[in-house]
Amino acid sequence: MKQKIDELLSQANEKIKMVADTKALYDLKVFFLGKQGEVTALMKELGKLPKEERPEWGQKINALKKQISELIDNQHKELELKELNQQIESEKLDLTLPGPQIEQGSRHPLSKVTEEIVEILSRIGFSVRSGPMIEKDWYNFEALNIPKDHPARDMQDTFYITEDHVLRTHTSPIQIHTMENEKPPIRILAPGSVFRCDSDISHSPNFYQIEALVVDQKVSMADLKGTISYFVKEFFGEEIKTRFRPSFFPFTEPSAEVDCSCPICKGKGCRTCKDTGWVEIGGSGLVNPKVFDYVKIDSKQWQGYAFGFGIERMAMIKYGIDDIRLFNENHIDFLKQFQ
Amino acid sequence: MKISLNWLNEYVDISEFIKAPEQLAEKLTQAGLEVESIENQSEQYKNIVIGEIIEKSQHPDADKLTLCQVKVEGSKVLPIVCGAKNHKQGDKVVVAMVGACLPGDFKIKKSKIRGVESQGMLRSEKELVLSEESSGIMILDGKASVGTAFAKAYGLDDVILDLSVTPNRADCLSHFGLAREIACLTKKSIKMPEANFQSSKQKTDVNVVLKNANDCPRYMGRSVFNVKVGPSPAWLKQRLESVDVNSINNIVDITNFVMLELGQPMHAFDSKLVEDNKIEISSSKKSEKFQTLDGTELELTGEELMIRDGKKPVAMAGVIGGKNSGVTETTKNIFLESAHFTPQTVRKSSRRFGIETDSGYRFSRGTDVEMTELALNRACHLIQQIAGGEVAVDFQDEYPNPEKKPVIDVHVNFVAQKLGYNVSPNDFEDGMKRVGCEVLDKDESGHFKFQTPQYRWDMDQDVDLVEEYGRIHGYEYIKETLPILTDRPSAQDTRYLLERDVESRMMECGYMQAVNYNFTSSVEQKALLGDVSAWNEYGLKLSDEDVKLLNPLNEDLDVMRRSHLPGLLKNLITNYRSGISYGRIYELGSIFHKKDYQEDLHLSMLSWGQAENLWQKNKKRPVVYDVKSAVEKLLNALGFTSFEWQLMKTAPSLLHPGQCVGLKLQGQLVGVVGSLHPRWIQENKIREDIAFAQINMEMIKNSYPKRANYKKISKQPYVERDLAFILQPDQNLGDILKEIKKVLKPDLKSIEVFDLYQGEKLAQGESSIALKMRFQTVDGTYTDQQLQELMQKAIKSAEKTGAKLR
Repeated sequence: MKQKIDELLSQANEKIKMVADTKALYDLKVFFLGKQGEVTALMKELGKLPKEERPEWGQKINALKKQISELIDNQHKELELKELNQQIESEKLDLTLPGPQIEQGSRHPLSKVTEEIVEILSRIGFSVRSGPMIEKDWYNFEALNIPKDHPARDMQDTFYITEDHVLRTHTSPIQIHTMENEKPPIRILAPGSVFRCDSDISHSPNFYQIEALVVDQKVSMADLKGTISYFVKEFFGEEIKTRFRPSFFPFTEPSAEVDCSCPICKGKGCRTCKDTGWVEIGGSGLVNPKVFDYVKIDSKQWQGYAFGFGIERMAMIKYGIDDIRLFNENHIDFLKQFQ
Repeated sequence: MKISLNWLNEYVDISEFIKAPEQLAEKLTQAGLEVESIENQSEQYKNIVIGEIIEKSQHPDADKLTLCQVKVEGSKVLPIVCGAKNHKQGDKVVVAMVGACLPGDFKIKKSKIRGVESQGMLRSEKELVLSEESSGIMILDGKASVGTAFAKAYGLDDVILDLSVTPNRADCLSHFGLAREIACLTKKSIKMPEANFQSSKQKTDVNVVLKNANDCPRYMGRSVFNVKVGPSPAWLKQRLESVDVNSINNIVDITNFVMLELGQPMHAFDSKLVEDNKIEISSSKKSEKFQTLDGTELELTGEELMIRDGKKPVAMAGVIGGKNSGVTETTKNIFLESAHFTPQTVRKSSRRFGIETDSGYRFSRGTDVEMTELALNRACHLIQQIAGGEVAVDFQDEYPNPEKKPVIDVHVNFVAQKLGYNVSPNDFEDGMKRVGCEVLDKDESGHFKFQTPQYRWDMDQDVDLVEEYGRIHGYEYIKETLPILTDRPSAQDTRYLLERDVESRMMECGYMQAVNYNFTSSVEQKALLGDVSAWNEYGLKLSDEDVKLLNPLNEDLDVMRRSHLPGLLKNLITNYRSGISYGRIYELGSIFHKKDYQEDLHLSMLSWGQAENLWQKNKKRPVVYDVKSAVEKLLNALGFTSFEWQLMKTAPSLLHPGQCVGLKLQGQLVGVVGSLHPRWIQENKIREDIAFAQINMEMIKNSYPKRANYKKISKQPYVERDLAFILQPDQNLGDILKEIKKVLKPDLKSIEVFDLYQGEKLAQGESSIALKMRFQTVDGTYTDQQLQELMQKAIKSAEKTGAKLR
């Protein structure tokens, strides 16, 4: 018996170490430890031994079984590792190849800038309103204190649809619609497409504006400047300053042109700001009480301010775009730059 | 508007600014009078002086050149080579010395001409921009003093500002007016121009009849006899030329000078040509002819305000004089007009005939009714001085309803509240006086009653005084605060929210947003859309009539768009021609209706070509399916999950009749997806597949936003079963799917086409499709029998449509 045990152990030692793959190892496991295996056969011979010897040899066979089992397990681990390494080696990929393309869309810079402006001003309570592009003369001009044959009509070259209908020359008619339909306090933003008979490298006949209107009990020029200054810093950068220059708009009094220190050169002077250090970004002012009269808001009780920017202009300054016509050519190489 | 600083200096002392015009420009700009450019004449004539030729000899190496020794100051003599022929020894000439810069950025340098050193150039009038043409160099008269800067000797040391004056500041459209503004800003005093003259015994011999005082509130006129019409003196010519006004003759020049000086346009009639000695201010007669002084013949409409004599119109009020009555070389006696016409009447006439004059410009912006008298006197003064006339002893002044200057009540606290900083009553009073207001009343609390000056027609309410104070005090003192939020913010506009949502979804779908003009070409639009009713079969609701512009920029932009197609196709062609053979673009925006000028929100997508790369080699995949999946992805993302595709009998003429499908949302057709018609693709020489989709977004907008509703999820695993069917040539998959979905409710969770086969193993036109279905129960598991039943139902319903199980 002892001899058989020793033989089986040395045989196992030898054979198991020589096995090259997990399949052959499994066959060996069956050969030694299977139901018909050598160790099982030895176990069956136990019955032939005298009763008192059986426990001793039983233990010894069990120890043999355990030893062979361990040998197999160890070899199995080793082989697995080897095979994994082989698999890894064979699965090597050239990851410098490109991945399948995920098609990337884009958002037009005018939408992007509009959204950004709305986001900044929404934070301080402004909500968007919209209005039609074909407007009655009354909304585009008269209610904004620009009567027929008033010299201020010369400020805007107007496209006419009929004697009484125009393509809105600014987003200001949305102010009128809102003040007619809603009760103060009002705090709105009106983005939209506007039209002027003018076309060259810096003028588009159909461009975009956004304007803000506040109507409340007490509204001052300082509130106006503070709001614009907040916006300019958020939009162009913390270091950008805001400056007011007196101007004239029939629907505001006092009126101011808005300049900001040039975001391109930070005020040092460059081509964008024509070496002045400042760029003009829009118009503003306190709502003219005459406009409140037109929309039947009591100008003794309510005050307001309004300001507006050209969206193309903001985009041109922000992204350094130098030709307004690019916005409507829709060249893919242009569009894909804005996401 | 051009302003000469030398001229301006006659009414207000700006000598400190003549050397530093940028400072004045800055001051004016910061006060609301934007200076657009500064033209410094002496800068232009730097290093150009008067010299004398003290010796002239032949150039040793060139027949056509002379060598001159030119004295430019004291003992300094420069050798200069000159190619002209008209000079001789002793001539006074204009010398551009080294460092001079002539128009065209031509810099004078020390140089050698054919071996001889030359230290400058002798200039011609043309080269000095004094005349259009000249022969030879400019020879000055003997009195010119050697060494003097040419600019100074010739009064070319002026600085010209170009101002952009806003419509409210008509009072600044003259030198005197601007001087008054500068005086206000710099706290200086203003000097009035001289306006005295000697009157004769003769009376004004023209009788003024003012028939329309609404359009002409005031008309003044005065006769001047025995004037000598001739050229203007040099100083007058120079004043006019400095601001780009041509000199004509002394009388016309004086009327122009007074207008540029005081802002009051004037007109001089030849009295002899004024028939019946009568000037009548009344409307034109319909179809009447009128020839302007530049010879243009107009047919009047009966609405223009005219100046007429006893028989005919002699001037269009405030706009332009008539050829029949103007001052000429032979004129002896004149009648001077100094009137006030309303902006509306002048603007109407000048717009109707497209006549733009300096006079019309000033009247249509609003002149000062009180300036008529000073202007008339000033003109008489100058005529007497220059043309030697005898001024009539009396004048005509028709002013039936003298205008009342507005009176404004204002409290200093109101000004302070509006500006957002403290304002003291004294400062405020001082400021208002400077802008020309008269204090009618005031009290200790800071309440004022002001009378505004006539020349500031734009000031008529308290807020105007707020602006005036803020402006002259300086906008830089305005602080930065934020308005207090006194109520909760209101809701966002739905269309805005939907647009932003669609934009980000489309970006996820790989589409780039295009923005085209809202107007387009009527011809092209008509050609592309064809019969609009074919589009409207698909629920697009396009307008069949154009909204036309009365005054389009050009014929390519003459109507509002009824579809995004013209714009997107133009974008496609631009991109394709620049070599971009694959693109996915879309436009989201309004399209227009003639009826009530309604605007509908539409979304259109245009796709061309397929990307081909390592992982995607199916370049043949029809692009239209890509567009379809983008539409589906978008609708799902927006929460509109119950949509259907519906095949229609007809297709719009621009789309492929066999590749076109309708989109149905909540039982209603709202859009179309299809390939472009091969004819259009061929005509435009494009070698790619092109597909288009258009969705009328109005219905989506009206039920936007859709809130997602949570549906309980099942813990049971999905069970998958596959089926394959053979479709007959005229059959479509949509019908089969619709049937299967109907009968397998609610077990069927998804159904997917995973294979499509057409070819040898099937009859011509047949196709085989393989479907993968996923089932799931809420609880419990399916028995084999249950699954068997489901499959049988599916097969039966498919077979009902004509498909055969494969």
